[in-house]
Amino acid sequence: MKREKLSLKEIDLKDERFRISYFFSLDKLAASIKEVGLLNPPLVTQREGRFILVSGWKRVMACLSLSFSPIPVLVIPGKGELETFLLAFYENLAAREFSLIEKAEILARLKKFGEDEKRIVRQYLPLLDIPQTLFHFDSYLAFFRFESELKKIIHRRNFPFPLAKLFTEFSSSERKQILPLVSGLSQNKVTEFVESLKEVSRRDGHPVRKILASGEIKDILGSPRLSSFQRAEKIRLVLKKKRYPTLSSWEKSFDSLRKKLRWPREIALNPSPFFEEKRLSVTFNFESQQEFRASLLRLEELASRREFSELFKFK
Amino acid sequence: MSGTEYFPQKIFIEKGSLNFPLTRRILKNASRVPVEVINHPQDLIEEIKEARDEPSEEKKYLLLTRQKGKFIKPCPCTPHYLGCNYYIINLNLNCPLSCSYCVLQQYLANPMITVHVNIEDLWRELDNFLEKKGKKAIRIGTGELADSLAIDHLTENSSDLISYFKGKENALLELKTKTVNIKNILKAEPAQNVVIAWSLSSSRIADREEKGAPAVEQRINAARRVSEKGFWVAFHFDPIIRYPGWEKDYEEVVKSLLKAVDPARISWISLGSLRFVPVLKTIILARFPKTKLVYDEFVKGKDGKLRYFRPLRLELYKKIVGFIKKWGGQKIRLYLCMENDDIWRDVIGWVPRGKESLERYLALPLGSSRKE
Repeated sequence: MKREKLSLKEIDLKDERFRISYFFSLDKLAASIKEVGLLNPPLVTQREGRFILVSGWKRVMACLSLSFSPIPVLVIPGKGELETFLLAFYENLAAREFSLIEKAEILARLKKFGEDEKRIVRQYLPLLDIPQTLFHFDSYLAFFRFESELKKIIHRRNFPFPLAKLFTEFSSSERKQILPLVSGLSQNKVTEFVESLKEVSRRDGHPVRKILASGEIKDILGSPRLSSFQRAEKIRLVLKKKRYPTLSSWEKSFDSLRKKLRWPREIALNPSPFFEEKRLSVTFNFESQQEFRASLLRLEELASRREFSELFKFK
Repeated sequence: MSGTEYFPQKIFIEKGSLNFPLTRRILKNASRVPVEVINHPQDLIEEIKEARDEPSEEKKYLLLTRQKGKFIKPCPCTPHYLGCNYYIINLNLNCPLSCSYCVLQQYLANPMITVHVNIEDLWRELDNFLEKKGKKAIRIGTGELADSLAIDHLTENSSDLISYFKGKENALLELKTKTVNIKNILKAEPAQNVVIAWSLSSSRIADREEKGAPAVEQRINAARRVSEKGFWVAFHFDPIIRYPGWEKDYEEVVKSLLKAVDPARISWISLGSLRFVPVLKTIILARFPKTKLVYDEFVKGKDGKLRYFRPLRLELYKKIVGFIKKWGGQKIRLYLCMENDDIWRDVIGWVPRGKESLERYLALPLGSSRKE
């Protein structure tokens, strides 16, 4: 490899054939370059008389943001596409962790540049900490085909494999419909939202569009008083109710009964998780004998009410 | 399979497993099947695990190897729920059927249909095991990590097992199957401590979710023939699966079962509703994308497995127990598989005090009530 200095204009940045990283923040790297310059030269190669970038997109973008030019580069002599890409891959592999979307980009390029599928599964998946199965390989190729906006969210919010996999269950147009609805939710809630939507859709044989246009959800989406986060939360709960109708009705009845009994907040009354057992539990905190007695008296008073026996109907 | 006998496309034999009598017997019974001797079965297993179309890929081949660990293990059951102190003999692994819900898809590290050919080691291990157990009644079977009879036309293991257990007073052998591969059973002399058991579902579930398995009516007919031959029979409604109209379908199965098979010859009927570890859901959907069975109301139990929400399970069990009683099975011993005290109390009316109490309930009929 030959070390050279190239002005940024000499590098054709529109050619992204070897690029695997898209969503990064430049601030820290730009600050570093500003202070000490570019210490680690990016890799470039020549194609049809042009220099194209093989590795070091973040560094070059940071230089571009600082108008820092010319820059030192290492020029890879004429090699095939796969061989050139592998240089970039191994350079990065040693230096950092890849995100899920970057792994998808890598695997898609290995396939595109003609690497044998079996070799990819056996040799590259373990290097990327991915289980060695075609199921996983296929899933990552599906992530590669995701819309840019979804890739960005998966990358930035560090979505795990199972959550990204959930999005493969939807068509591109469905994903475009879902994404704005879930973008403000926490990761667990995104999972619950998307999983419920998928499962209700599969169970009932209804397309996503039809579910999202159904009465209750339509009203939520059309309500001008709700913020996008509030909308997402309300839709998530509606979907949960559709997905688990019996469990939701038990939870609702239990809550109603708690309210009917005017159960005090400082004494927690809970069924077993998912009502798996008939037992109920009561917990409260106390600092003195007096507080303890007060809670017991309160409980005794609650137990004497007629409605109290209704707690045991959750069998 | 659907009533036809399974033959693999190829038999792989691990080099060290060539000279066993069971290997020779299988090769004789599958004389037309190509054979390849391999040094490292693990390489082949890994290759099959990598394949995109795993469900059919893994069923194409039969692997003959040796059991290098123990043949006999306690049934793994599940934590926090009532177990039945069952023991399993890992003679074969996996089966040629492709049931969408099968736990083996996730449970077994080796997805190939595998026969452990060093059966002589099993007899030695069983001798020691039974000696250690002394007079304690035990139930043991080959149908947990395999179907006991699905490849019996190749292995003829059922004949050897029945011969071995005959006269072993405190041991009860269960051979559990979904198939109608009963040729060797019908040739064998019935033993009072051997139970031939069938897994049953509704016809709709058998049709949609149990690819390759014989129809429920065929299974019942096979059970009738085995029972008439003089063997005890048992049935496992496991997994019971809900769908619109399940009540009618399950009642039909119970009705035809109890019409065909004399209830007095039924050792027990077990009930277990569909349950699975969360990762199995992903596997089921990847391999059987059209199935809808995972979309019902499953919640996480104390053991981390997904089960139907308790009132739904209770309804399943109560109704099926009702059907069994309605159609003549009032005296049949019933038990629940991997259920909690509350469900036992509500469905069966009592709760076993620990695993051994349930074992006694199921195995003690080895005594007087079982004798003809």
